Amino acid sequence: MQMKQMLKKGTKTAKTEKTPYQKPLPPFYTEKWEKAGLSQIENDFGTVFLRETHYAFNHQHGKYRLGQFYEALEAWEVYEQEHPLKMTSDEKIVFYDTETTGLKGVGTHIFLNGLLEETSDGFVLKQYILADPANEAAFLFESKFWQANQTIVTYNGKSFDWPQLQTRWTLNREHLPPLREHQQIDLFHSSKRIWKNDLSRMKLTTVEQQKLGFQRIDDLPGHLAPMVYLDAVRSGDHDMLFQVLRHNEYDLLSLITLFIQATELVFSEANQEHAIVHTNIGKWYHDLKQLDSSQSLLENVTENYATNEAAEAYYLLAIQQKKQKKYAEAAESYEKALPYLEERQWIEASLGLAKLYEHQLHDLEEAEKHTLNALFRVRQSLLFKKDVQQRKREAIEKRFLRIRKKQGMK
Amino acid sequence: MIRERKTVKELIEQWQSDPKMQNRVQHVRVLPERPASYATFPKQLHPSIKKALQSRGIEQLYTHQREAFDYAMEGKSFTAVTPTASGKSLCYHLPVLQRILEESKTRALYLFPTKALAQDQKSEMNAMIEAMDEEILSYTYDGDTSPSIRQKVRKAGQIVMTNPDMLHSGILPHHTKWVSLFENLQFIVIDELHTYKGVFGSHVAHVLRRLKRICDYYGSNPIFICTSATIQNPKELAENLTNTKHQLIANNGAPAGKKTFLFYNPPIVNETFGVRRSAILEVKDLARKLYESEIQTIIFAKSRVRVEMLVTYLKSLTAQNIQDESVRGYRGGYLPSERRKIEKGLRDGTIQTVISTNALELGVDIGQLQACIMTGYPGNIASAWQQAGRAGRRQDDALIIYVAQSTALDQYIIQHPDYLLGNKPEEARVYPENMLILMDHLKCAAFELPFKQGENYAEFDVDDLLEYLAEEKILLKTTDTWHWMTDRFPAHDISLRSASQENVVIIDQTIKGNTTVIGEMDRYSAMTLLHEEAIYIHQGTQYQVEKLDWEEKKAYVTEVDVNYFTDANLAVELKVISEDRVRQLGKANVAFGDLMTLANATIFKKIRFNTHDNIGSGPIHLPPEELHTSGTWLHFKQPDDWTDDDLNSAMLGVAYAMNSFIPLYIQSDRSDVHVVPQVKAIHNGEPTFFIYDRYPGGIGLSERIYDLWEQLIQHVYEHVEGCSCQIGCPACIGAQDQTGNTKDQVLHFLQSFLLEELMDDVLREEDFANEANVKKGYENSED
Repeated sequence: MQMKQMLKKGTKTAKTEKTPYQKPLPPFYTEKWEKAGLSQIENDFGTVFLRETHYAFNHQHGKYRLGQFYEALEAWEVYEQEHPLKMTSDEKIVFYDTETTGLKGVGTHIFLNGLLEETSDGFVLKQYILADPANEAAFLFESKFWQANQTIVTYNGKSFDWPQLQTRWTLNREHLPPLREHQQIDLFHSSKRIWKNDLSRMKLTTVEQQKLGFQRIDDLPGHLAPMVYLDAVRSGDHDMLFQVLRHNEYDLLSLITLFIQATELVFSEANQEHAIVHTNIGKWYHDLKQLDSSQSLLENVTENYATNEAAEAYYLLAIQQKKQKKYAEAAESYEKALPYLEERQWIEASLGLAKLYEHQLHDLEEAEKHTLNALFRVRQSLLFKKDVQQRKREAIEKRFLRIRKKQGMK
Repeated sequence: MIRERKTVKELIEQWQSDPKMQNRVQHVRVLPERPASYATFPKQLHPSIKKALQSRGIEQLYTHQREAFDYAMEGKSFTAVTPTASGKSLCYHLPVLQRILEESKTRALYLFPTKALAQDQKSEMNAMIEAMDEEILSYTYDGDTSPSIRQKVRKAGQIVMTNPDMLHSGILPHHTKWVSLFENLQFIVIDELHTYKGVFGSHVAHVLRRLKRICDYYGSNPIFICTSATIQNPKELAENLTNTKHQLIANNGAPAGKKTFLFYNPPIVNETFGVRRSAILEVKDLARKLYESEIQTIIFAKSRVRVEMLVTYLKSLTAQNIQDESVRGYRGGYLPSERRKIEKGLRDGTIQTVISTNALELGVDIGQLQACIMTGYPGNIASAWQQAGRAGRRQDDALIIYVAQSTALDQYIIQHPDYLLGNKPEEARVYPENMLILMDHLKCAAFELPFKQGENYAEFDVDDLLEYLAEEKILLKTTDTWHWMTDRFPAHDISLRSASQENVVIIDQTIKGNTTVIGEMDRYSAMTLLHEEAIYIHQGTQYQVEKLDWEEKKAYVTEVDVNYFTDANLAVELKVISEDRVRQLGKANVAFGDLMTLANATIFKKIRFNTHDNIGSGPIHLPPEELHTSGTWLHFKQPDDWTDDDLNSAMLGVAYAMNSFIPLYIQSDRSDVHVVPQVKAIHNGEPTFFIYDRYPGGIGLSERIYDLWEQLIQHVYEHVEGCSCQIGCPACIGAQDQTGNTKDQVLHFLQSFLLEELMDDVLREEDFANEANVKKGYENSED
């Protein structure tokens, strides 16, 4: 309430005409940050800081060398079909990760653009640091995302980093060349595909630890990054900032190795990992309509693992087999899967069996048995919302009555 | 029960020969029909629009619609005063559609106070577009909009319908996703302007200031089109709300049907105490008669609890018919899906009686209702007209029954029906100067776009405030610009609707393992309605509050079936922080300034249904709520011949009456301001009346009372003196002990002391006050 004294009703200032771009001054800590090892870049729009780090092909990150990236690329080059992970050496590939001052909205700044690219003898990491919010145009311009088309590889970049960048670009669009659309490969989505039900969390650090054999030492938790930057631009202190840079560096190096591993798994026979991982990949092929790859991988799972581990693979196979009109095989696959499926799929499999027995295999007794099983399970289930449960029950009851009627007619 | 369909006319005739009704209906007023006045279609009106209008049988416009079109085409912002069912939506649809047809990239933003209203208007707009046979994209954008079409709405929606809350937290902070809207925005339509008053209106005033700032950034300069129910100062309100000059369209050309108003006073059940039968019980009986005559009726009750009580009472009418849904409640706190269902039932006639809080005052399209019952005076004339407008929307005969409660204001209305029917409705005001509201939205504005040094925020020069925010490490100043520099998202910390910022969620735990959220309530109300052991009523079902988790803002309730409801007391402590203005009032002093209050819910009573007996009580254990606000106070030397006790009871009576009459002067609810008397105020040791705004930072209500003390006291005196009771009653100074002589004391106090001794020079003072009013004026910025 004491602030009342600060409030004045203004006489309206004359509308400020849009003036030509005025290059902002470098911030007061420029010299200090340069001494600490950051280089100051001066472009038409102002100042931006850069840290550049080079890596050789044989740089070890977790269980992979970065150079293995090229083996992965080769694998994709010979793969003729489309795939969300597919990249080729014709493309200009850049691994991209940002650090921001918040989670959403126009008031959230990107303060770090980390770009990891190929060079002739390895990889180079360019970390551009927003000098201060006044120098944002300079910072964005250096990202070069307005230049030739590239393939951008991110972790959740489709829903986070890229929309954030678009927001910042829109705010500076008067001065900057337009932002181009680039091809995007989001490894977060791929990871969810591959490790669903295998990893409990899909955080990049979790994937690193559990799958990529990389353990971060003294890592700054990502959610503290905003605080560090906010403090750095107020005080000029850069010490903590280097921890954010390292955090971002880890993220980007892991993106390369994650891509290597994802590629390996997608093309591997079903014996590298848990059955669930290969089954997930089989399902992924299925959803991409690459049915041959899907079926052979799923069959591969059923051959390599005990029935209980391969239950879901059998379940997915059954669906495909039914589509191919291999009814007896489909029923067999369902039956094998049934004892080990989780509830939702158990109910679906029972209904799948009921349908097969009723319509194709003409065994009404079996059909009735599976219908009843499904009905009891749905009734007891806590999985569904009330109305969904009600609808399912009614549908099954209808089926049951129909089967009963058919039996009577016999 | 025998039901027999009657027309409103037949029912009124029947009542005229009913001695009981004759006795209780103290006044009958009939408003005659009013014919329409028309204007021709404008010459440039696009043929497709003309075609669509003609397909609905519209061959000419009402005069106000034509005037609206012409102003809009001249690029002038305007405000049209439009009562219910007067074709107000064409005032904005026509110019908007015209401009879109002329230039397809044109954009319009429609703001409705609620989601429901936006949904309604979208259906209407889509029907219109279909009849026009044109490709125009019109969408609602709110919490219910599916994520899959959001992007399309943002990029391609030519007409976007939303509400202030969504604009505040879902659109403005993400304006870069709406570039095509903001670059091409030509119209901002504000429907139901009169609802934007008080705290909510002041918030919305800032949301609109932020909106204009963003439009300015993208180079658009939209006009505002406002429509309002009848209030005294529509133009002023629109100008303050939008910070833009407005034209006023006051002459409505729409026809209106005949309206019969009955002023109904419940019978006195205790002569000495002046106690009348409870209005709720009377409404119950009246509603039953209307129900039996199959007249579709809306009943307004002032609080959620009363709505629920009436629902409970009236549902018993349909108890024999299982799944009979013809009696329903409708109020805030119900979940949206529940409300949509009720609205539909009203439109298609399956619901015959609906009991509502003022949520339904708004123009939600519920079709034609024949009768309206007001349980008590809704606090201001404008609301009363809004409620009355619910009956007879389509020019039919309509019946409006005003049932007075025992309160001073209600009884005043029933004695002076022309106050309601003959007076202009009250003023509605916003107070964007409220420091807390201003600071909140300044943060949002800074989040949305950086501030340059010397740049105004709407009419405010904010450099000092921005400097303060920089010191607080919320902003960062580079050479000449303040940038948002924290990880917070300020719009989420600010709710436009409720005084306190976090609501208490009400959780039904009747069935273990299947708990559900059944509603929410603002914190201040929760202190007295959701304390432990409170009976909370929801859709006619009673719940007992088992546990109130104040930290987590959760109230756990269990269904119960009891024959009482609960009513809680709130004790208030007051401290003066600063005196900003003072003036002499005879020998008394009047001041205005900042206050700190400490509200403490102390005890609650259990009150039996029907008889309203007090059947028990208990303590409430809640931390006191602190409130910094602005207030005005009147203080004077304690007269020698008065004991503290006598003075205390006289002052209590006066305060009671004052609190009742304040809504007469300022459009507000009783609960927006508080009157607290103290025989020895802490800051001056003198007898003092405090009147303060019940909202953090103040909302300009008590500031206006600062100039009105004389009139207020005069009015209170006249009313108490004119009241027919002997010892004081709920209609004047509140119910009193039979043994006391409080009423005499109050009158004596008012007359001999306040009026004569303190203010003998009232005339001179009034001149002074008027002059002060003129000087203060209301600055409208130029634009």
